[in-house]
Amino acid sequence: MTAATAEQPTRPERAQRVSAKGTRRSGRRRRRNLAVPYAHLAPALIAIVLTTVYPLVSALVTSFRHWRLNETRTPGRFVGFDQYVRAFHDGTFFNSVWVTAWFTLLSVTLSVGLGLAIALILNRRGPLTALTKALLILPFAVAPALKGFSWRFMLNPDHGVYDKMIGAVLPFTADVNWLGEPFWAQVVVVLTEVWGWAPLIALMLLGGLGSIPPEVHEAARVDGCGAWQRFRYVTWPLLRPLLLIVIFLKAVFSLKLFDQVVTITGGGPGRATETLNFYAYAQGFKFLDIGYASAISWILVVVLGVLAALYLFIMARQEAK
Amino acid sequence: MKPGRILGRVCHVVATLAILFFVLFPIFWLAITAFRPEKDAFSTSPWFSPTLENFRKIIGGENDLVAATANSVTVGVATTVIAIPMALLASYAFSRYRFPGHRSMLLAMVATQFIPGVAIALPFLTLFRDLGLLDTRTALVVVNLSIVVPYITWLLKGFVDGLPLEIEEAARLDGCGQIRLLWRVVTPLAAPGIFVCAVFSFLLSWNEFLFPTFLAKENATTLPVGLITLVRPEGVAWGQMAAAGLMVMGPMLVLSLFVRKHFAQGMTMGAIK
Repeated sequence: MTAATAEQPTRPERAQRVSAKGTRRSGRRRRRNLAVPYAHLAPALIAIVLTTVYPLVSALVTSFRHWRLNETRTPGRFVGFDQYVRAFHDGTFFNSVWVTAWFTLLSVTLSVGLGLAIALILNRRGPLTALTKALLILPFAVAPALKGFSWRFMLNPDHGVYDKMIGAVLPFTADVNWLGEPFWAQVVVVLTEVWGWAPLIALMLLGGLGSIPPEVHEAARVDGCGAWQRFRYVTWPLLRPLLLIVIFLKAVFSLKLFDQVVTITGGGPGRATETLNFYAYAQGFKFLDIGYASAISWILVVVLGVLAALYLFIMARQEAK
Repeated sequence: MKPGRILGRVCHVVATLAILFFVLFPIFWLAITAFRPEKDAFSTSPWFSPTLENFRKIIGGENDLVAATANSVTVGVATTVIAIPMALLASYAFSRYRFPGHRSMLLAMVATQFIPGVAIALPFLTLFRDLGLLDTRTALVVVNLSIVVPYITWLLKGFVDGLPLEIEEAARLDGCGQIRLLWRVVTPLAAPGIFVCAVFSFLLSWNEFLFPTFLAKENATTLPVGLITLVRPEGVAWGQMAAAGLMVMGPMLVLSLFVRKHFAQGMTMGAIK
């Protein structure tokens, strides 16, 4: 690679190169230099375009066409926005919108609240806290599909170990069939999420708490601040930007919830746990309506796209600080 | 010590133990259920004589999950082997060069993590059907790249950013070409980062559920999807489910401990340093 050897990308030179756009170097030389980074990027970019951009565009086009796999192998006529209009008149679609929104709200609140509590408790030195911090990551490494099965097992209304524990502490729940009642089924699906995420969020927040110099707390203590005041006026303001990012991240993953819905409830009881992802899956896979499923998945793409834009904006702003 | 302080200490220890219980109990319970005799799967007694009966049923027995396990390993390894060189090259470019589109391409990598799985799986479902690739491991590797490549490129960029430039300069002065430089200098230096990325890549691929649900129902089915075969009309075979669950989570629990320091950073795509 001769083009590459011409390049000696040291840091000062890099700065120079940026400032000297087109003036110090001839256009041809510049273009030749640019070939080097683009050549490095090419394999990854091609892979990403083929595996994300292509399907997104393809799904968008399909969302404007009538296509049922049980009728034709290939996409049918263009129907414009019909399938989007259909979604907005479809009670089942709205049900999945509400379920997804409710899951997201519940899951973000519980995961972030519990994660913050865990982080504040573990933000000390000591062998026991060190061990606990080291093990916090474990639930997140468990496949979400398996989390679903394991919680479903533990909450079995007749014999599950969690069912027995809860029954012992709160006797009035003895008759609750956790997965048979819409509200509790929703809570269980969310709890499997919280089990994986709260410890991970605690780890992220502990990273942030660790960056607060102990002198700041010491100074506040000397000035007569109690524990609550120290949290309110020292920890909280420093933690807030981090919390914003964590909330975003959790919301995004909740909006995409799918695995546990399949392995715990299959969308039931009734349609109480049908998320958008699951509804699109059911339309495409069970009812073979690829066109309508694509429209639903694109509605989800747009929602997440807005969140992505906001997330990138927040990230850029924090970077600039 | 004042009584108030002792009380505070005790409360703290109790709270910490509660956290440990919350985090570990489901893992512990699944692990011991795997060794319980199947008929006692729902027994809550901690005393029982451990047996491998459940494992015998899912390894070569009535609900054989060996093929699914082999698929999971193959898909995970293939995804990792393909993704790592791509990510290394791309992260080197992002780290060492400035070029038009640098920033927007980096942000696009973050944005890919917001794409819902169905929007990727549905088009590939019909494309792979037309190509005759439905229900093959190749199909799963291809779609896994959509998650893994951007994720580990971003993660690896952090490592490459931290490598000293002096060694690369010295190598160049000695007449080292770009390919040799990447292979002989950058790769060994970035080895710890590459290891972390390989672990993440394997873990993401291993735990993936939506893609194999859409694209690989039988021959290429992976272990997490294989769990569903233990759900029978007459009820779930919980003992075998626990044994299979231990196979699904065991390796990942071990791997996660190696890379735990990088989880937070990876998940937030660099937003938390």
